[in-house]
Amino acid sequence: MNKSLHRITTIAKKEVVEFARDWRTIVAIIIIPILMFPVLFIVFPILLESEAAELDSKEVNVEVQYNSYPDFIVTQFNNTTTQLTLISTNFTGSLSDPRDDLDRVRDMEIDAVLRLNYSSDIWYYSIIHLSTSESSSEAKARIINALISFENNLTAQRIAAGGLEVNSTLDPLRWDGETSNADVATEGEQAGLILSLFIPLVLAIWTFSSAIQPSIDMTAGERERGTLEALLGLPCSRNELLVGKWLGVATITGVGVLLQIVGLLFAIGYLASSDFIGVPDLSGFAILLIILSIMLFAIMVVALELALAMRSHSVKEAGSILGPAIILIIFPALFTQVINLDGIESFWFGIPVINILLALRELLLDRVIIEHVVIWMITSIVYATLAAYYAARQFKREDIVTTLS
Amino acid sequence: MTSDGTLLKVSNVRKNFAEVIALDGVSFEIKSGEVVGLVGSNGAGKTTLLRLMSGVYRPSNGDVTLADGTPVYRMRGNLGVVPESTGLYSRLTAWENIRYHSRLYGVSDSIAWKRTLKFAQSLDMEDNLSRYTKGFSRGMRQKTALLRALAHGPKVLLLDEPTAGLDVTSARTVRALVEQIKQEGGTVVYSTHQLFEAQQVCDRIIIIHNGVIKANGPPSKLIQDTATETLEEAYVSLTQEKARMRFEDAKQESGITKLWHKLFRPKTPELAYEGGDLDE
Repeated sequence: MNKSLHRITTIAKKEVVEFARDWRTIVAIIIIPILMFPVLFIVFPILLESEAAELDSKEVNVEVQYNSYPDFIVTQFNNTTTQLTLISTNFTGSLSDPRDDLDRVRDMEIDAVLRLNYSSDIWYYSIIHLSTSESSSEAKARIINALISFENNLTAQRIAAGGLEVNSTLDPLRWDGETSNADVATEGEQAGLILSLFIPLVLAIWTFSSAIQPSIDMTAGERERGTLEALLGLPCSRNELLVGKWLGVATITGVGVLLQIVGLLFAIGYLASSDFIGVPDLSGFAILLIILSIMLFAIMVVALELALAMRSHSVKEAGSILGPAIILIIFPALFTQVINLDGIESFWFGIPVINILLALRELLLDRVIIEHVVIWMITSIVYATLAAYYAARQFKREDIVTTLS
Repeated sequence: MTSDGTLLKVSNVRKNFAEVIALDGVSFEIKSGEVVGLVGSNGAGKTTLLRLMSGVYRPSNGDVTLADGTPVYRMRGNLGVVPESTGLYSRLTAWENIRYHSRLYGVSDSIAWKRTLKFAQSLDMEDNLSRYTKGFSRGMRQKTALLRALAHGPKVLLLDEPTAGLDVTSARTVRALVEQIKQEGGTVVYSTHQLFEAQQVCDRIIIIHNGVIKANGPPSKLIQDTATETLEEAYVSLTQEKARMRFEDAKQESGITKLWHKLFRPKTPELAYEGGDLDE
C-alpha cells in the first residue's frame, strides 16, 4: 500500500477505535440516531393515544344552566362519564361573563358550566371553563361535540321542514370515486416526495451536529490533552493528518446519519404498515448523484468543523464556536423546505448548503435536471475545496502545538 | 553521519513568535553516541528548541539539519520524541499507543513489539502493555512514552523534561534507561532544569537562557570556565539576566480577543506593603 495512504488509514482507524471505546459515543452515534425517529413517530403517538384514552374515561362534572329544558344534552350524556347538574335560570347580560361561576370553575368545584339561552328559535350558548385544566378542557370538548351533533340534527330537521332534500342541500359538491386514483404521480414518486421532506433536513442537521463532538475531540481535544505534539513530531505530513482525521470524523458521522435514516424509514414504514409510503422510484444515475452530493456536503462540513476546532485553544472554546454554528445549517435547511421546486431559478443551486439540500430534494423526486446538477456540483466542489484548503491552513499553523494547559 | 560522528546540526537558528524572539543565534551539533543536556529555566527556550529539532516547528532563520544537510522535518523517521506532556491516548492501551506511532513511522508491528519488549523489561512495564493508559501514573505514562519513542529504532532520542513530576524511583528508572541507550551507542538530547540530573546523565550540557546559548560543553569544563566549584554555581554565573515569561501562548490573539481581555482585565489592588504584622 502507498505509504501516505497507509498513514492516512492508520490515523483514521485509530480515531474511530478510540472514539468508539467511549460508551457515551456509542449512545450518541448509534443508540440515539436509530431510536430518535421511532420514538418520535411510534412511541410518542402511543403515549398520546393512551393519554387520550385516559381522558375519555375520566369523570367530569358539568353544570348546565338553561332557560328551556335541553333534552338533547341530557340524552347525549346519559350513561357516560360526564356528570350533569341541571339548573333552570333566567339570564341577564352576556352568557360569556363568568360572574358567580368564576371562582367555582377556577377552584375546580366544577369542570365547566354550559349556559343555554333559547330565544326566538335560536339557542345561544357559552361554556365557562378553565383552559389550563385538563379536566375542564376535556369537559368543554365533550360539550362542544354534543352541541355540534345537536346543531347538525336541528339543521337537518329545519331543512326537511322547509321542504328541501337534506343531503343535496348540505352537501351539494362531491368528489366522485377514489381521490388517490386521480393522482397521476406514481407511488414511487409520492414516496420520493415524502422522503424529500425529511431526508435532506435530517442529513444536513445530523451531519453537522454529529460531526461536532469528534471534530473537537480529534483537534482541540488532542491539543488540550497534549497528544497533538507527539503526533506532529511523526513522519506524516499535516495534510495526511488532516485527511486521516477527516476520514475518522466522516466515518463516525456517516454511521450516525445512516442509522438515523434507517430509524426514520423504519418509523415511517411502521406507521404506514400499509401503503402509506413505498420505495421511491430512483434511477441509478439519481442514486449516484445523491451519494455524490452527500459526499461533497460531508467534505465541506467536516473540513470546516475540523478547521474551526483546530483554531481553538481548548475544547471549551471549540464548543462555544461550533455549537452556535449549527444555525448556519438549520436556517438554510428549514428555508429549503419551503422553496417550490417547480420552475425554480438556477441560482438557488449555487448557494452553499441550500444547493445540496435542493439537489437532494430534486433527486429524491427523480428529477435529474442537468443544468441544476452542473451548478450544484461545481459550486459544491468549490465550497468543499475552499473548506479543505482552510482546514489545511489551520492544520499547518505552528501554534496548534501549544496548549492552554 | 559525518566522519566526525555528527548526526544533527543546529545552525544559527532564530525562532520568532510574532514580535517575540524565542531563540536567537543558536548553533550546536549533536554527535553519535552522545547524551546532550539542554538546561535552562522555565521559558528559556528548551521546548522550542526541541520542537525545532523534532520538526514540529520550522526555524524563522537558520537550519536544523541532519549531517548530510537534509532538513530534519523531512527525516523525522530518524527521531524519537517524548514531549513533556507524554501525549498518550487514554482510551488506547500502552501497546496500542506504541503501535500507533510505530505504524506511522512505517515499522512493522512485529519489530515494534520486539523492541518494546526489550525496553519494557528495563522499565518494568511488561505487565502494563495491555492496560489502558487512562489509569496510569505519571511515571507509567512517561515510561510508555519512552517505549513509544524507542519502538521504531530512532537514531536520536529527544526527551523534554522526562523526569518532571516523577517520583524518585521512576526518575531513577528513566535515567537508567537513558544510560542503557547510551551504552548501546544511542544518541539522546535531554532537556531538564535539574542540574544534578544533567550532570549525572549527560556527557555535554548546553545552557540556554532567554533564547540564547550561554555555554556548551562537558559539566567539568563549564565549572572550570566559570571559575566556580559546582555546576549550580556555574549555571548561576552564566544566567544572571532576569528570566523572561513564557511567550508562545500569548502570541497572535485576534483583535476582538485582545479588546475583550483589555475590557475585562482584573484590577490588581494598588496597595503597598509597609511592614507590620500580616495577621492583622
